Amino acid sequence: MKERLRNYRWLYAGMVAHRIQRATGLLLLFYLFVHVRTIHKLSEGPEAFNEALAQFRNPAFKLAEIGLLAVVILHALNGIRLTLHDMSIGHSRQREWFWGGAVGVGLLLFLLGAVPMFLSGVMRGAR
Amino acid sequence: MSGNALLWHAQRVTGALLVVLLVAHFWVEHFATEPLLRGELTYEAIEQRIRTPLWQAIDIAFLAVALFHGLNGLRNIVLDYSRIPPPLARAVTGVLTAAGLLWMYWGVEAFRNL
Repeated sequence: MKERLRNYRWLYAGMVAHRIQRATGLLLLFYLFVHVRTIHKLSEGPEAFNEALAQFRNPAFKLAEIGLLAVVILHALNGIRLTLHDMSIGHSRQREWFWGGAVGVGLLLFLLGAVPMFLSGVMRGAR
Repeated sequence: MSGNALLWHAQRVTGALLVVLLVAHFWVEHFATEPLLRGELTYEAIEQRIRTPLWQAIDIAFLAVALFHGLNGLRNIVLDYSRIPPPLARAVTGVLTAAGLLWMYWGVEAFRNL
């Protein structure tokens, strides 16, 4: 029974997708908080704002930014997938929609953004 | 449509809106001008844009949509994983709404001295 339950969780994409959507959603809400906190420094003038931005220049933050890209893409594509399912599009091929449509296309988009970000942000910063 | 069905629907609509808004936001902040393209984000690089009232309005609307989507999503998570009675659920909704309004004010305030 336990074995079966474990299989259920991974066999049906909806279960994995549901958890991913919630975990990435929480991360994005946290990011929005950090983002508004930084943008709010605009009200304290150019020096304060530029100083606040400077802390994001180190390679560790550049890596985190690449992680953010992954999280955004996954949440967006999975969100599009589930909205289409809600409109009863793609019901007969749920696994393919999830692994191909959200994860596969997502990975492609991610690499398209992540490679230049890594080269210009992390490598240049490390030099 | 009941309240929760409306929220469920609104979550989809704001989600779809956010895909478009976020792609546009990403474009404007990373690819639109030379310094931004080089990764040189500074006050000076974005000053002209953020002084424009129309852009401020767009950014504020963007924040409102994102906050609704994010906090409504958080509400879904809290109410799904807890078995709380309706009055407490309403309190959760109230707290998240208040947090959203404060957060909104915080965001709008960023433009105070522009």
